[in-house]
Amino acid sequence: MKALCWEGINDVRVQDVPDPQLLNDQDMIVKVRLSTVCGSDLHLLTGHIPFMQAGDVIGHEFMGEVAEVGPGVTRHRPGDRVVVCSFIVCGRCWYCRNELYSLCDNTNTNPAITQQLWGADPGGIFGYSHAMGGFRGSHAEYVRVPFADHTAIPIPEGVDDLSALFASDSVPTGWMGADLGGVKPGDVVAVWGSGAVGQMAARAAQLLGAERVLVIDRFDYRLRQAAQAFGVETINYAGTSVGDALLEATGGRGPDVCIEAVGCEAHSTGPQYAYDQVKSKLKLETDRPIAVREAIYNCRKGGSVFVLGVFTGLVDKFPLGALMNKGLTVRGAQQHGQRYIPMLLDRIASGELVTNHLATHIMPLSEGARGYELFKKKEDGCVRAVFQL
Amino acid sequence: MLLAAGAVTVAAVARRRRRAPDERDRYLAVTVNRAPDEVQSSLPEDLARWRDRVEIRIRPAAGDKGTELSVQPSEQVSRHELRLALRRAKAVLEAGEVVQSDTAPTHPGPMGKALRLVTSRAGGGGRL
Repeated sequence: MKALCWEGINDVRVQDVPDPQLLNDQDMIVKVRLSTVCGSDLHLLTGHIPFMQAGDVIGHEFMGEVAEVGPGVTRHRPGDRVVVCSFIVCGRCWYCRNELYSLCDNTNTNPAITQQLWGADPGGIFGYSHAMGGFRGSHAEYVRVPFADHTAIPIPEGVDDLSALFASDSVPTGWMGADLGGVKPGDVVAVWGSGAVGQMAARAAQLLGAERVLVIDRFDYRLRQAAQAFGVETINYAGTSVGDALLEATGGRGPDVCIEAVGCEAHSTGPQYAYDQVKSKLKLETDRPIAVREAIYNCRKGGSVFVLGVFTGLVDKFPLGALMNKGLTVRGAQQHGQRYIPMLLDRIASGELVTNHLATHIMPLSEGARGYELFKKKEDGCVRAVFQL
Repeated sequence: MLLAAGAVTVAAVARRRRRAPDERDRYLAVTVNRAPDEVQSSLPEDLARWRDRVEIRIRPAAGDKGTELSVQPSEQVSRHELRLALRRAKAVLEAGEVVQSDTAPTHPGPMGKALRLVTSRAGGGGRL
């Protein structure tokens, strides 16, 4: 079959790879219909996450049709349309039972790497390096889905393929940021990042009752899209002081909830960005936490900061003093998708949650390398490239 | 980061070698999300086969978190083998099977080959 493979730093190519097989009783094979790029893939492309082998199939946000099920699969049948969460989950460990699905104990086949790095291993992810299990990704004609009854979710009749696609990752990730960030009716919420996850976090905040939502980015076309789709207020940090704008918008208090949806390769203006660039190039820090610093600094006293962006290791100049003295709650997580996806599909079906505007570039898998190039360089108004199979 | 991970691993190995004798005897443990009597009655073969050579301890976990399943390492079984057995036993008890990783790429490249050395041991490594 054809698949888009990581072949080295900034080198992805469509290759012929063996078809996936059922390896466990609870596996199923999904024929992929749509698979999209994600901002976190860029950390693989740039070599920021070094646990890749040439020939690894990438991609983790996808939907498709069940092609084959193992004897231990009871909830899906061949022909069913499913959205597959990017996190593979067993559904029965303590973490899964407590709806902390991305922390599943039983799905990372290489637990030693992340146990040494982070003290414990999160669950496995499709197409996201051998540190996260070494599972093949979704930019392929077929994907093996382990623990299929728990990892994949049926798509209701009223939801089209493209809308369902984003329920695999960006929608539940964004929702989780607003939910676990503690957004309440009347809150003012600031979201750093106007990509798919940031936009979904902003919409989730609205649906959870936020009175005002402000989205921060440096790309006008993304901010415009967020404003048009959801009526949020926007701040372009390239020409505006984010802190001053947030103080003005909140009567001098600062946002009640700050959601960071940028991640470890954040950009900024001014000396802070140069500092982090130098430190990361010299390997004196692994990640550039610019948006996290801003979120903590600008959050109101006693407020809440949720880190949705992907981080890998160690950061410098973390504002611990601000966190402690302002009495903040700081929390982060990879997405606990299975907790939210059924509810989110219902909201998509009802029309209150719109997602398909995110797919700015729909193309065949054969153009996968071009899709990543557009996405990475933010060219041609690209928010998400979607591969059609 | 691979270098950082390597350094962390080397440091961890060095720390283990410096351990006092009583530290080397410290139990390796996982918590299984099943009741103690269920764990006792259906201990998977991956772990049960070491029963004659290591002490296996089963006791309720605090806060209704299931069962703590622990083994005390001995000279007869490597810690690597015991970590692997504990993880596999936990997976079988909780999820019914041990998930297998997908087939590896055919041309991993030099860095990929180095990474394979790490991942080939990863099932029995780590902090467990």
